[in-house]
Amino acid sequence: MTWINERLNIRYAIWALGIVIFLAIPHVVDDKLLMHLAILGMLYAIVASNWDLTLGYAGVFNFAHLAFFGIGAYTSGILAVKLDISPWLGIPCGALSAALASVIVSIPAIRLRGIYVALLTFACSQLVLLLLLSQPLITGGQQGLTGVPQLQIGDFRFRESRFAHFYLVGLLLLCSTIFLRRLVTSDFGLSLIALRDFEEYAVARGIPLARQRLLAFLLSSIFPGLAGGVYAHFLIVASPDIFGFSLTTLLLSMVLVGGVATIYGPVIVGVVMTYVSELMASSAWMSDVFGISRGPVRFMFVAVLIVLTMRFFPQGVWGLVKQFSARVRSSQKDAPEEPAQMR
Amino acid sequence: MTLEALVAIIAGALVSGSLYALMASGLSLVWGTVRMFNFAHGALVMVGAYSAWYVSNRGGIAKALQPIGKSIVASSEDSGALGSLLLPLGEWILSIKGGFGLALGVPFAILCCGLVGYIMYVLLVKPFVGKPGADLIVIITTIAGASFMQNGVQVIFGPRYKQLDRILKGPPLQILETAIGLQEVLIIILTPLTLFLLHLFLKHSKLGLAIRAVAQNDDFAHLVGINVSQIYPLTFVVSSILAGLCGVMLGGLFFILPTMGAQELLFAFVVVVFGGLGSLPGTIVGAYVIGFIRESSAYIIDLYWAPVVLFATLIIVLIFRPRGLMGGEDS
Repeated sequence: MTWINERLNIRYAIWALGIVIFLAIPHVVDDKLLMHLAILGMLYAIVASNWDLTLGYAGVFNFAHLAFFGIGAYTSGILAVKLDISPWLGIPCGALSAALASVIVSIPAIRLRGIYVALLTFACSQLVLLLLLSQPLITGGQQGLTGVPQLQIGDFRFRESRFAHFYLVGLLLLCSTIFLRRLVTSDFGLSLIALRDFEEYAVARGIPLARQRLLAFLLSSIFPGLAGGVYAHFLIVASPDIFGFSLTTLLLSMVLVGGVATIYGPVIVGVVMTYVSELMASSAWMSDVFGISRGPVRFMFVAVLIVLTMRFFPQGVWGLVKQFSARVRSSQKDAPEEPAQMR
Repeated sequence: MTLEALVAIIAGALVSGSLYALMASGLSLVWGTVRMFNFAHGALVMVGAYSAWYVSNRGGIAKALQPIGKSIVASSEDSGALGSLLLPLGEWILSIKGGFGLALGVPFAILCCGLVGYIMYVLLVKPFVGKPGADLIVIITTIAGASFMQNGVQVIFGPRYKQLDRILKGPPLQILETAIGLQEVLIIILTPLTLFLLHLFLKHSKLGLAIRAVAQNDDFAHLVGINVSQIYPLTFVVSSILAGLCGVMLGGLFFILPTMGAQELLFAFVVVVFGGLGSLPGTIVGAYVIGFIRESSAYIIDLYWAPVVLFATLIIVLIFRPRGLMGGEDS
C-alpha cells in the first residue's frame, strides 16, 4: 500500500506548490492587463466549474447558469448603488438571490427531460434579462448599472492594490473548487452520476430524482452568485452583456474544452481561455494578418474549438490528462480508469 | 378598445404570426424527423437576409464587381479580337450598378440557406447522430455554429445596419382607417402560400412522404427502402430554406444586422413548445396564437412587457403540459 501514500503525498505536494506559485504571482507579474485578465479568468473559472456540476455530473443542460452569475452581480450592485448597503453584505445577498433563482428555475425544470430543460432554462434566462431591461431606473437598462462602488476595508481600497482582488478571487476559486470536488466525490455526487448514466435503475434503487436535481441546481448557483457580486464590484459596473450569447458560448467552451465531469478541467481551461480570447481581441497581429476587426474573430475561434472538442476529444483536456496518467499507472500497477464521457 | 386598434392588433398578429410560423415549422420539422433541436435556426434567418441583400442591393455584389468591370473594359480596349469579345461583358457588369434586384436576390438566398443548412448538418449534426446524449451535444454544437455565423457575418459585412428593398412600393393600404404597409400585406398573403406548398411537398411528393415516414419511425422507413441517411440532410435543407424565407421577409420590415435572428428564434421556441414539438399543424396554429398574444399584450400592457408575458406563458405551459399544449405523449 505504499504507492497510495506516495500518490497522496504527491497530490499534497502539487497543491502546496500551486498555492506558493499563486501567492507569488502578483509579486512577480507587473503587468496591469495580465493581472486584470487573471482576476477575470478566475471569476469565469468559478462560473464554468460550477456549470460542470449540472452539465457534466447531472447531465442537464442549464442555460440559465449565467443568469445566476448575472443575478449575483445585479443584486449586489443594486443594493450598493441604490440602498447604500456595504458590498460585504451585498455579495452574500447576491449569492442568496442566485440560490433563490436556481430553486425557482429548477422546480419546473426537474419535471422535464432533455431538450425541454434547455428550452425552459433558456426562456428563464431571457426572462431575467427582459425584466432587468424593463426597469432602467433601477438597473440602468441597456447601458448597465454604473457607479457600483469598489470593494474596501476601512480606508484600504481594493483597486489601488494589485494583491487584494487577486488574493480575494483566488481564495473564492479555491473554496469553490474544494467544495465542488468534495461534492462530486461524495455520495451525492455519485447519485448524480448514477441518475445521469442509468436513470431508471438509479430511481429503482431509491435515489430521489427530483430532490437530487434540485440540489444540483441549488449547489451550482451559490459560488457563481458570489463571483457575480465580486465581478460587479471589481469592474464597478453590472452590464446586461452577462446574459448575451457570446459570454454563454465562451463559458460553455471552458467547460467542454476543459472536460465535462472533471471540475479541475473547467477551472484550468477557464483561466487559460480568458487569456487566449482577450489577448486575441487586443493583440495587433490578428488585425495585421487578417486585416479585419478582431472582436468577432475570437468568438469564431471559440465556436470552432467547441465543435472540434465535441467531435474529436469529448473528454476534454483534463480527460486526456487523466487517460494519459491512467495509462502510465496501468503499465506499473493499476487498471486504467474509465474516461469521463459526455451524456 | 376601438375598432381601429382591433384591426391593428389583428394585422400585427398576422404579420408576426406568419414570421413565427415560417421559423417554427422548420424547427418542428427537424425535431420531428432528426430528433435534434437546431439552435442555429435564428442565424439561418440572418444568413437569408444578408444573402438576399448582397445580391439585390447596390451596396452588395454590384459594388464589389465595379472594379472588375472597369478593368475588363480598360484591358479590352488595347487588346485585339479577344478584347472585343470581353467588352460587352465589362460594359454589362458596369451597367448593373443598382444590384440585381430581389428577383435574383430571393432565389440566391434560398440557395445560400439550403447550402448552409446542408453544411451545418454535415459538420454539426451528422457526426453525433445515434450517439448517447446526441440531443444535448447537438444543442451545444449548433449554439457554436450560430455564434460562428453571427460573428462571421459581422467580419464580412461589418456592423452597419442594412435594409432590403421593399418588393411593393406605394402608399399603405387603408382598412377601416388603419394603415397597413404593403410589405406587411405581402407577408400575410405569401406565408400561408409557402406553408401550403410545404404541405403539398410533405403530403404528395415522394421525398416529402419519405420525410414523414422517417419522422414516424425511422427503423421501418429503413425497412421499406428509404435511405434515412439522405432524408436527414434533406430535412435540414428544407428547414433552412424556410428560415431563409423568413429572413428575406424580416429584412424588408426591419434592419438587417448580425444578431437579427436571435429574438425571432426565442419566439419560435415559445411557438414550438406551445404547439408541441414535431407537430406541424400545431406549430402553425401556435404561431398565430402567439403572434396574437404578443401583439395584444404589447397594445394593452406595454411593448416591453409583451415578451415577459410570452415567456411566462411558456414556463406555465411547460409546467403543466411538459410536451407542449398540443403535443402528444410521444417521447
